Formats: sequence, C-alpha cells, structure tokens
Amino acid sequence: MKRYLFLGLIYALALVLPLFIGEFWIHVAVEILILGLFAVSFNMIFGYMGQLSFGHAAYYGVGAYVTGMLMVKASVPLAICLPLSMIGAGICALIIGYFCVRLTGIYFAILTMAFGQLIYYIIFKWYSFTRGDDGLQGIIAPPLLFSVNAYYYFTLFIATAALIVMWYISESPFGYTMRAIRDNADRTRFIGINVRKYMLINFVIAGMFAGLAGALWGPFNRSIAPDLCNWHHSGTPVFMTVIGGPFGFFGPMIGSVIYTFLMAFITGFTEYWPLTIGLVIIFVVLFVPGGVLGVFENKMKGFRSKAPKSEETIP
Amino acid sequence: MDITLLMSQFISGLSQGMMLFLIASGLSLIFGVMNILNFAHASLWLVGAFFCHSIWLRMQDYGFALWLSIPLAGLVLAGIGWLIEVILIRRVYKRELPEQLLLTYAMVLIIGDVIKISWGVEDRIIVRPPEVSGPVFFFGIPIDSYFIFVILVGVAVAIGLWWFLKKTKYGRIVRAAVFSREMVSALGIPIPRIYTGVFVLGIFIAGIAGAVQAPVGSITLGMDMAVIIQAFCVVVIGGFGSLLGTLVGSIIVGEIYAFSILFWPQGALALIFIVTAIILIVRPWGLFGTPMRV
Repeated sequence: MKRYLFLGLIYALALVLPLFIGEFWIHVAVEILILGLFAVSFNMIFGYMGQLSFGHAAYYGVGAYVTGMLMVKASVPLAICLPLSMIGAGICALIIGYFCVRLTGIYFAILTMAFGQLIYYIIFKWYSFTRGDDGLQGIIAPPLLFSVNAYYYFTLFIATAALIVMWYISESPFGYTMRAIRDNADRTRFIGINVRKYMLINFVIAGMFAGLAGALWGPFNRSIAPDLCNWHHSGTPVFMTVIGGPFGFFGPMIGSVIYTFLMAFITGFTEYWPLTIGLVIIFVVLFVPGGVLGVFENKMKGFRSKAPKSEETIP
Repeated sequence: MDITLLMSQFISGLSQGMMLFLIASGLSLIFGVMNILNFAHASLWLVGAFFCHSIWLRMQDYGFALWLSIPLAGLVLAGIGWLIEVILIRRVYKRELPEQLLLTYAMVLIIGDVIKISWGVEDRIIVRPPEVSGPVFFFGIPIDSYFIFVILVGVAVAIGLWWFLKKTKYGRIVRAAVFSREMVSALGIPIPRIYTGVFVLGIFIAGIAGAVQAPVGSITLGMDMAVIIQAFCVVVIGGFGSLLGTLVGSIIVGEIYAFSILFWPQGALALIFIVTAIILIVRPWGLFGTPMRV
C-alpha cells in the first residue's frame, strides 16, 4: 500500500511539474520519459529474462523511422503512427529474436549487437528510402501537441499506459515464467515450458515498446538520424538500467531520471559528457552493484542479503 | 574486371585482414583466458596510433623514426594496459558478464574523451619513410609496399604468439588456464598474475597494431568505434580463444570487405554482419573454437 502511495505521489508530481520548471527542463523531462520507456523495455530482456541485449537501439530506431517516414512522406496522423511503429519494431524483433533466443550470455549479446548493426547499416546506406545519414527532418507533431507542455503531457500519458501494460506483463504468470528462465533455464524446461518460445515472446514485447519509445522521439526532436540505431545508442538503456537497478521494475526509470538529468546538467558546462558518464558507470559497477534501487531496497530491508551471484546458484 | 585489379584488391584485403588480426588476436586472447570481453580494445589501439604519431613527431628527421616509434608505442600501451588491469579489471574478475562488459564499455567512453583532451580533435598524419612509400611490383601488378609491411607484421605476431603459446613454459600455463583455472591455481600458480600478464600482452599487441595502422591513412577520433565491431566479428567467426581461428576470421573479414567494395560497395559492412550472424546461429563457438559455455 505504501508503495502505491509513493507512486501516486511521484505521478502527481509529474502532473504538476510543468508549472514549476522552465521550458528547457520540460524538454529534459520529455527526454527522461522517452528514454525511461526505452530502458524499461530493455530491462524486460535484461532484468526479467537475464540476457544482455546489445542491439536494443535497433528497435528504438525502427520505431522512430516508421513514425518519421509515415509522417514526413505520407502525412499519417501520429495516433496511427504509434501502433504502426510498435508493429514494425515488433516484426523486426520477431525475425531477429527468432535467432537470438537460441543463444545465451555473451553470444546473445554479440548476436543482438550484430543484428542491430545490420539494421543500422541498412538504414544508413539505403539512401533512396531512408535518406541515409542526412536523416529525416521536419517531423512535426500535430498542432494540438505543438507546445512543449502539450507534448510532455502526451508523452506522460503514453509512457504511463505503456508502463502499466509492461507492469502487468511482468507481474503476470508470463512474467514469473521469465524470472524462472532467468534463474534456471534448464529446470524451467524440465517442467514443460517451451523456453525459446517464451523468450521470443518476451523479446518481441520488449522490441515493441522500444519501438514505441522511438516513435515518440521523432516528433519531439523533429528530426531523426540513423545514429539512433547505432551500437553506442544501445549502451544508453544499459547504463540507465545499471544506474537505477535491474532488479526492480522502476529501476531503469530511476536510472533514466539520473542519467538524463545529469547529461542535461553536465553538458551545460563541459563537452566531456562521455568521460563523466564513464566514470559514473565505473563507480556504480565497482561500488554500487544493484544500482540506486538496490541500495534503497537494501536500506529498507535492513541490509537483507542481496540477489544471489551466479557462482552461488545451483547449476 | 581484369586480374590486376582482383590481385591488388586481394592484397589490400589481406593487409586489412592482418590489421584486424593484430587487434582481434589480443581481444581473443584476453577473452579466452580471462573470460572478459574488452570493449576498450580498439580504443587502446587508437591510443597506440596517437602515441606512435607523438613519438614519431619528436624524431621525424631521422630515417628510423617510424621503425622505432612502433615498438615504443607498443611498450607505452603495455604500461597503460598494466595500469588498467591492476586498477580496474582486477576488481571485476568474479563479477557477472554484464558488469564486466559495462566496465570496459565505460572505458571506451573515458578513453575517447581522454584522447580528445590529450591530442585535440585534428587528424594526424604520419609521413611514411621512403622504404614503404612507393609501390612494389609483383608480376607487373603494383602493390602498396606498406601493405606488404602490414602483412609481414601480422605474420610475425601470429608466429610469435603461436611460439609463445605452444613452445614456452608461460605459454603452456596460459593454455592450461584457458582449460581449467581451478587446476592451474591448485598447482600453486598465481592466477591473477597470469591474468595481468595476458592482459598486458593483449594491449601491447593492440598498441603495436595502432602504431602500424597510423601511417596507413590519417589518425582520426572515433576510428575505434567501427574497428571494435569488426574485431568482434573476427573473433566470433574464428572462435573465441583460438589463435588460428582469429587469423582465418581476420582474413575472411578483410577479403569480404575488399571484394564487396568492388562489387557491392553499399553492402560491405552489412555482409560482414550477415556472415557473423550466420556463424553465431549455426556454430556459436566459431569456425575453430571449441564448444563451451553456450
């Protein structure tokens, strides 16, 4: 109960936020929501399925390109573009995931990365269709959402809806099956669950929501470029998840708040943002395993023992 | 399409492949022994190129400038590698894969900015000494003589590594550590020291590779980002931890690149990723690797 009260409080704060902050910080808030949605979708694979996807930006980019190209070339309304983006990213995830779920660990990470790069190069090189590295400009949100405030509320609404759906999925029997697969895929197979099929479904769901996050990005930024799909952009949700904590549903969102806020703040006075975030990541990896949420929950539970490390689990 | 063009393209692919081998061999060695995938490998390779340029700049009036800069850059990088291992990598031996990946990924970002701070954003160019600046002729086919030098360095490193791993006592210990860490450690051999040695050796080769790369074209910030992905592809195709596999994988990737530039320029890199993906799906342990931990 306390938890829901806390969430409600945060949500109320998010609703009244534009009244107190300037336009620049509303932009940052929109970015937090979009990238947070991206990171939460990534964590469906990382936190709940236990596999590191290093090509998650591909689905984000595909989502962004579906919406961007439909809006620029065919003037399709945004409301129709969003579900189409989800479907487009979902189809990509279905094809790629079909192969990826056969592997685990480092091989899964590299295969997702190789496929992600493949999508990046297709978008990058297919000049006649995607305009290559010129990117797409002039993705204008409908007049109703033209002001920053309106787009903020729109993003908040879509992100909330998506988070609720993902929350239900993660708390459903399906979500618990994913946790079982993460903890021990062999035993899960023994009780008669088709592990690959479940992993593929989860992969597609994660890809679809990444596509939704990407679709929201285009009209917000008014332009998109193939770099959205590139592998260093796949690092962003990984960073957010690790900073926020992968063991809780809202960890990546908290990570997004910290990451994006820090980026807006740091880039204000130095160009060396990668250096800063690199040091932050090393600090978190070395001294705060489990992320911010992990520390917070440890405090709450009186430093109860943490999630078991891999060498302690029974094979 | 005449034979001359194909031949010169083949040699160019071979030299590109050898360049990749120089990077990927260290990557594969570090992963094979330490089980750590070093994202920052190409970043350190780029640091090697910049160091080579700086050292070369100090003595460019002498004829031997480049030939001395290459080993010196390798040694500097070996020192940097040692520092990174002792300060950072050592702390994550027992951590899980994502944390190790993130640590080395964070190093990519840090090293990129450190290069920017230390060397600025301008491109650097090393003027090749006369021995390797003109073309040489094989049966009347002109071939860039620097390519021949790159191939020779690649072959030398391959033979050197093979000799080290198969014929020396330390090489045997390293191979034993790949096979079973517990057993080696039970025999009283300190594993951390082997790890440090392997990491330093890998980064030393990366430094040499960067220095050898430096005179090929200009040295540019961000070069490392494309190279690391290609090096991953090489290691995946050849198989993690296999020296022969890395050599074959490098030549495959180099030749795919060289020939697809000729026939299908847009698809050069895409083709490499497709081959990598197929290998990963069909044979995750690569052409020459041994099936393990899949």
